[in-house]
Amino acid sequence: MLPVSDPSVHNPIQIDPELCIRCNLCDWICPGDIIYKEENNKQTMPVVAYPDECWYCGLCESTCPTDAITVVFPERMLRNQTDVVTLLGKVV
Amino acid sequence: MRADWRTIDTDLLVIGGGVAGSMAAIPALEAGLDVVVCEKGRVLDNCGSVGCGVDHYLTVMESGPEWDTPEFLLRHLPQLTDGIVDMAVASRVIHEMPRILRKIEGMGVDFKDPRTGDYSRHRSFGLPGAYHINFDGTDFKRKIGKHVRAGKATVLMRTMAVQLLVEENRAYGALAFNFRTGEWIAIRAKAVALTAGDVNRLSENASGLAFDSWHFPYNTGDAQAMAFRAGAALTNMEFTEATLTPKGFSAQGLNAVVSMGAYFLNKHGERFMFRYDEKGENARRAVLADAVINEYLLGNGPIYLDCRHLPEEELDHMEETLQVDRYTLPAFYRQKGVSFRTDLIEVSISELSIRRSGVYFRGSGLAVDTTGETSVEGLFAAGDCASVSGGIAGAAVLGHIAGEGAVVRMRATYGARPDIDWADAERIRAEAEAALGRAGGMPWKAFEGTIRRTVSDYVGVRRSERGLRLALETLAALAVKEGELAASDLHGLMRVQESRNIRLNTEIMATAALARTETRTRSAHRRVDHPEPDNENWRKFVLVEKGPDGRPSVRAIDAGRPLADSFARRSQSQTEGSLPYAAGL
Repeated sequence: MLPVSDPSVHNPIQIDPELCIRCNLCDWICPGDIIYKEENNKQTMPVVAYPDECWYCGLCESTCPTDAITVVFPERMLRNQTDVVTLLGKVV
Repeated sequence: MRADWRTIDTDLLVIGGGVAGSMAAIPALEAGLDVVVCEKGRVLDNCGSVGCGVDHYLTVMESGPEWDTPEFLLRHLPQLTDGIVDMAVASRVIHEMPRILRKIEGMGVDFKDPRTGDYSRHRSFGLPGAYHINFDGTDFKRKIGKHVRAGKATVLMRTMAVQLLVEENRAYGALAFNFRTGEWIAIRAKAVALTAGDVNRLSENASGLAFDSWHFPYNTGDAQAMAFRAGAALTNMEFTEATLTPKGFSAQGLNAVVSMGAYFLNKHGERFMFRYDEKGENARRAVLADAVINEYLLGNGPIYLDCRHLPEEELDHMEETLQVDRYTLPAFYRQKGVSFRTDLIEVSISELSIRRSGVYFRGSGLAVDTTGETSVEGLFAAGDCASVSGGIAGAAVLGHIAGEGAVVRMRATYGARPDIDWADAERIRAEAEAALGRAGGMPWKAFEGTIRRTVSDYVGVRRSERGLRLALETLAALAVKEGELAASDLHGLMRVQESRNIRLNTEIMATAALARTETRTRSAHRRVDHPEPDNENWRKFVLVEKGPDGRPSVRAIDAGRPLADSFARRSQSQTEGSLPYAAGL
């Protein structure tokens, strides 16, 4: 059984169902075990099962034979508001 | 055979199918031996630490000039490593570089520039000669991986090793599980090579996303943790590595941009880098990161990268090569709506990795001898998890040395492989599987989140005795929680194992950092309570091993001696005659 993705988590790997040929190369190439595609079934789409574990490497996008995949960054990466000083440790 | 387990008997078991692992497999395959490769990914076509191709390769070639000889590079090593390097192992690696380069060329990798028909060699990263070959390495790993497959190695994909099998300080295999099928595998081997990379996901960064990391977030110190539990010695684990990244995306590549002539500016619009180093933006990575840290602490942040002054052709080249380091980096800038042609790019400090601290030939990980063997007999290590490493080339060369070392070890070994202790194997499996659907358990994400906050606050770029002790308390308390970790599926069971490994590595790091009462290699190990290097007392390795209580225990070892002098492979109870499975010497 394939995992179900949680719609409340940002999905970085957007797959166009019109272009996707259900080939499972994205599942195959993903180094993080994020994308699950049911093998030998040309009806089902790949599932981005663990979107918050994506490295944003884009191997899926670069490998996809029909350019069906686009990597989309979340707002917290694009318009980041973190104060960098909070990353530099506490002196106690 | 055992019901419910898949059992495999082989000669060499390789854990991690990156460059080091593939290169370790090759000598064994060439010797006609059986090889099993255990790999968390699904393909051998990509590099472990960068996930994609390669664009430079460090090597001595003995092409004529004095700088291109092993002896010349070796003379500079103490200075390049701030005096902490195992010269015996580094010497073997550097002397083997020309041979391994030719061997990789024999696999079909073309290191030459097609425009000139010659090697394009460059001097970079503070090295004393033009040791880096710049080349199109898109197919580098694919060709090496193909060689491994052609040698008929058995490759176990989406498979995570959980426990090494060790008897009388001798490794004879591992227990692993496939996190797609749930199948458990007991692999008995005559030798084991650990090549599973560096340690990531251990501290926070600007985006706060655990898997948004400069280095590969799926490298979680599995080899270091498994080997530590099995009694192996580790070293240099106190040294961390950070870089500068575009704020919000921990991508590689900022240093490449800097090498083309970009400037750093603080919030006042000042070019501050010359205040920290006379080379300005051309200083070593550790210096650049340090300067930016300092400017932020002085209240001069945000810090920006400025490329606007660069000539048009440089900017074109920059745009073309941006994706070499990270394929998605152009998309990040596009979606962010900024262009380095016209805008300042805000920068941040990345999260930390335990990975040779930006220093060539001083690796952080398993202490190895000149054959790549660790302090556990028959257990070899190479790549970013070993005590001598150096990017792709370091992984390739020490990987091959370890593979050859393993062949010699296997040939010198007589007797049958020990039987698997099934009661023990079943216990390890049951403990691992118990996380599945554990009611009221601690989610691995929360567990890791506590580790990252703790490391960022007290084990990061500003360390003190008090902070390190606080961190060790928290990390030890988390150890107790390991038995309460919860996962909702097989994939989560794999992540639970990774979380345990990350925790153990950070405890080892904090223990070693507490022992080293000095500052060395700037932010790689900065003790605010010991802010200067202490060459009088600390030209030493911190060696970490499992103590009698199971916790990390440290020894300071003179860095002028080979690390292997400090570990005895046989435990005291062992004698030649009593070993059921001994080296036949």
